[in-house]
Amino acid sequence: MAQVMASTLDSKIPDGPINEKWDNRKNELKLVSPNNKRKYEVIVVGTGLAGASAAASLGELGYKVKAFCFQDSPRRAHSIAAQGGINAAKNYPNDGDSVWRLFYDTVKGGDFRAREANVYRLAQTSNQIIDQCVAQGVPFAREYGGLLANRTFGGAQVSRTFYARGQTGQQLLLGAYSALMRQVDKGNVKVFPRREMLDLVVADGMARGIITRNLVTGELETFTANAVVLCTGGYGNAFYLSTNAKGCNVTAAWRCYRRGAYFANPCFTQIHPTCIPVSGDYQSKLTLMSESLRNDGRVWVPKQADDSRPPHEIPDEERDYYLERRYPSFGNMVPRDVASRAAKERCDSGFGVGDTGQSVYLDFRDAIARDGIDVIRAKYGNLFHMYEKITAENPYDVPMRIYPAVHYTMGGTWVDYNLQSTIPGLFVLGEANFSDHGANRLGASALMQGLADGYFVIPYTIGDHLASTKFDAVNEDHPACASARNDAANRISEIMAVEGQRSVDSIHRELGQILWNYCGMSRSAEGLTEAIDSIKKLREEFWTNVRVMGTGEGLNQNLEHAGRVADFLEFGELMVRDALNRNESCGGHFREEYQTAENEALRDDENFCYAAAWEFKGVDEEPVLHKEELTFDYVPLTTRSYK
Amino acid sequence: MSDVLNLTLKIWRQANSEDRGGFQTYQLSGISTHMSFLEMLDVLNEQLIANGEEPVHFDHDCREGICGTCSLMINGQAHGPDRETTTCQLHMRRFNDGDTIVIEPWRARAFPVIRDLVVDRSAFDRIVSAGGYVSVNTGNAPDANSLPVPQQDQEKAMDAAACIGCGACVAACKNASAMLFVSAKVSQFAVLPQGKPERDRRVLRMVAQMDEENFGSCTNTYECEAACPAAISVSNIARLNREYLRASLTSDA
Amino acid sequence: MNSLVRALTSSVGKKFVMGITGLLLCGFLVIHLAGNLLLYVGAEQYNHYAHSMHSQEWLVNIAEVGLLALFAAHLFLAIRLTTENRAARQQRYELKKSKKDDPTTDLHADSWMFISGAVVLAFLLVHLADFRFELRDLDDVAYKTTTASGEIIDKEPFDKAVALLKNPISRWVYLIGSVLLAFHLSHGFASAFQSLGMSHPKYNGLIRVAGIVFAFVVGIGFASFVVWAYYLE
Repeated sequence: MAQVMASTLDSKIPDGPINEKWDNRKNELKLVSPNNKRKYEVIVVGTGLAGASAAASLGELGYKVKAFCFQDSPRRAHSIAAQGGINAAKNYPNDGDSVWRLFYDTVKGGDFRAREANVYRLAQTSNQIIDQCVAQGVPFAREYGGLLANRTFGGAQVSRTFYARGQTGQQLLLGAYSALMRQVDKGNVKVFPRREMLDLVVADGMARGIITRNLVTGELETFTANAVVLCTGGYGNAFYLSTNAKGCNVTAAWRCYRRGAYFANPCFTQIHPTCIPVSGDYQSKLTLMSESLRNDGRVWVPKQADDSRPPHEIPDEERDYYLERRYPSFGNMVPRDVASRAAKERCDSGFGVGDTGQSVYLDFRDAIARDGIDVIRAKYGNLFHMYEKITAENPYDVPMRIYPAVHYTMGGTWVDYNLQSTIPGLFVLGEANFSDHGANRLGASALMQGLADGYFVIPYTIGDHLASTKFDAVNEDHPACASARNDAANRISEIMAVEGQRSVDSIHRELGQILWNYCGMSRSAEGLTEAIDSIKKLREEFWTNVRVMGTGEGLNQNLEHAGRVADFLEFGELMVRDALNRNESCGGHFREEYQTAENEALRDDENFCYAAAWEFKGVDEEPVLHKEELTFDYVPLTTRSYK
Repeated sequence: MSDVLNLTLKIWRQANSEDRGGFQTYQLSGISTHMSFLEMLDVLNEQLIANGEEPVHFDHDCREGICGTCSLMINGQAHGPDRETTTCQLHMRRFNDGDTIVIEPWRARAFPVIRDLVVDRSAFDRIVSAGGYVSVNTGNAPDANSLPVPQQDQEKAMDAAACIGCGACVAACKNASAMLFVSAKVSQFAVLPQGKPERDRRVLRMVAQMDEENFGSCTNTYECEAACPAAISVSNIARLNREYLRASLTSDA
Repeated sequence: MNSLVRALTSSVGKKFVMGITGLLLCGFLVIHLAGNLLLYVGAEQYNHYAHSMHSQEWLVNIAEVGLLALFAAHLFLAIRLTTENRAARQQRYELKKSKKDDPTTDLHADSWMFISGAVVLAFLLVHLADFRFELRDLDDVAYKTTTASGEIIDKEPFDKAVALLKNPISRWVYLIGSVLLAFHLSHGFASAFQSLGMSHPKYNGLIRVAGIVFAFVVGIGFASFVVWAYYLE
């Protein structure tokens, strides 16, 4: 069993009633005067919604910002692929929404494993995000009268989701990117594309810089600053097959973990219910079909197991609309974890459809009959087009076939209320941190959190750190920089020196299989224990038998991938350990041993109402667990029900 | 039609930006028609690594057609034969057994080759930083619904904003012109009320930057529109021309 | 003023000037064709038109200078843009195929503008040598005639035109020139509207069709004179 430390974690939740906490905090935070801001340098790693919005906002304030991304342009960060929408408590549709309800839904949707105060702040800032984005020229969908349109997403009984066709993430990211490029234009921000962060520089106990590999020249570069803001997204690619972009990785966050930043709740991964199923062993990634489709699509499988008739030959009375049957009040719009598990249950029981039996139908027949094909095309045309491109099936005629896939990771670097990690000066934003979504994230909330953190939280909280800290000069020659640079260089030479037989990709695939089988939609102590062993063996195999072509100089995509997989191999073990430690089922974490008679998740608030923050002790050492107890003063701890 | 293809690939290999580069021919067998084009290249790379050869470098990331990272000139067509499709969304069922496929990088003076099929498109970022934004600081925005925008204007803006910045327009244009890319950004803000205050300065600066990057000029052949995976219309180019003319003749700038 | 020069020398500005000069030259083509159609009305009317036009020689001179400026600008920019555009590609593709699926574009007039323009220029030079500078033949058969009294005088414009159009070299140059001119216009006319920013979904189809009709009318119009002269007794 993991070593548990008495909690040393200070989450720094402000005083006062929940609706005043953020205001109180803003009033307490120290300020940096305008003339002094230009003396401070801030490094922002990652240029997705959180990173681009943070870098732009900090640049606007006058800080000297350096922004880094591994992509060839900041505009390509994977936030761009978010489809459905962004939540806000505007209550424009007059359907009874409020900041309170958004807060309540998010805490409940997260299955009571998020920090209440953070979630309330998220709900509070949601409205400002919409205002900000509209002012930037983000073309949100509008009604004929010229005002903004809304739609419904899972886990909510109000329409609070703003959207730009099926490309909301793209439009929000391009908005943040344009704000970022404006600061580049003004000289406040310098962007460093095609750079991969390989290590964090910690000097005198504070985050003071990063080591990057210039992916074009292969050179290791050192950048110093007064604070480092990590906005590097999630770790879903540990599973190999996920809806993430191929380049998404845990390296930056993992390097920070190894330098002392605690990593919280790594086992909280979101398996999204509506993805295009796997078609073969060459598959390189999975494609999401937006949750918004469940507004009009009905999910079903045949009532008879192994029914091989084509879907249109199966009459209504022989179809099992299992979500509507099991969850009559939310129906097809239950949260993602619930919908995913229900699909898995049906397929495991032999009712799955398609060649592999590993998919369920998402059927638009009734919606097309009700609204007409043009209305459906206007709402989802681009998604239907994409589905047809990939599967060569026309979803207007035959139902889509979908299956859950790894999508988002709720866990991440532990941060306090100010979004500061356990390393002073290291702030973590967006998907990369752990704080707002608990054990399950509701649809259309990731975009909200990324932008809330970047536009409206970090500009306040970073100032407090800068104003209250005395900084010694740290430059490239500082011993901490030299040692971090050395570590990064050694790691690259070690990888290049293996010269074994197995390709990086094949090892990554095998890791993905292990995690998906034992730490995916359902987990057991037995499987998880086995997984730890398998991962250790695979890690051993990597370091003795991997084959990486080329050299460390110049562009080498094979080497980039190898570095990322090396970190996933360490990270995967932590994920499994966390899942093994959490003897309960909650949100996306479903332990077979802990379920109700109706196969619903069985939470254990007595023993596990905490965030599990892990401290690194060495690659082959057991990490130390620190518990941040979670208290729920405003949303009473209840069993989630969507029936 | 068989489900498995045997292919000959003729791929541009170039060690770095200084290298002259040249074509290499590879044989590939047993390719499933359900694979995406990039998955086919993954298979090739696994084969190359197994043989101790350097894998082919190509840009890719989201593999769902939205990030704009993937490129490739496939048999002389940007993103291959399908309309409104990126290379990552192109599937091998579009090819026949025995086909020879020629794969080249985007070619433009403004997009220098970094390695093999990977090119440097940072010129696009520099164009956007020359005014492709609305100058609004965080926290200053009025209520989102205080500014109604006619739905048809918002739709037009969205049509233009859908650009994924992949550079296929430049690759397909015989002049390597970036007009479709630039005009999409100019148009998005030209039709929205939020973009109005800066419209003159924006179009003048963005065009000047585009010229500085050594892109060619538009001779209205509309190959860009045909190659664009995001279906950006050349009517945006006309709008840019109009905006540029208006700004040149009437602005103080 | 400085900013205006900068605007006109930008890529968009150059295309703007290209479009404007092109359209103005189209205007000239209309006037020229209309005047020439008087050939079909009769010698008397055609001669009258020619004489009255040249009765105000200074007006003709101004028009000539204007036309020369238009041609010069159009030509200069064509060379300039073509050179720049070639340089912008730097390295050619091994294989290049169009993705357009519009069958009317199979001829790719848009890809041959510089070549078709060059042929039209050659045609224009021959045409000017024929009619403006009267350099066609050294023994002046086309330009002079001998009266009954044995006096050598200038031919009437109608006779001069017929004589030149019957010349075998001119005949082929004019025929090929007219066809290539039409080819040039089939893209150039509509393209100029786009370069000038005149585009609207309601009118784009009309402009495109108008461009093609215009190209046909001008091409057939000018070519018809050669055919007419060939069969003229």
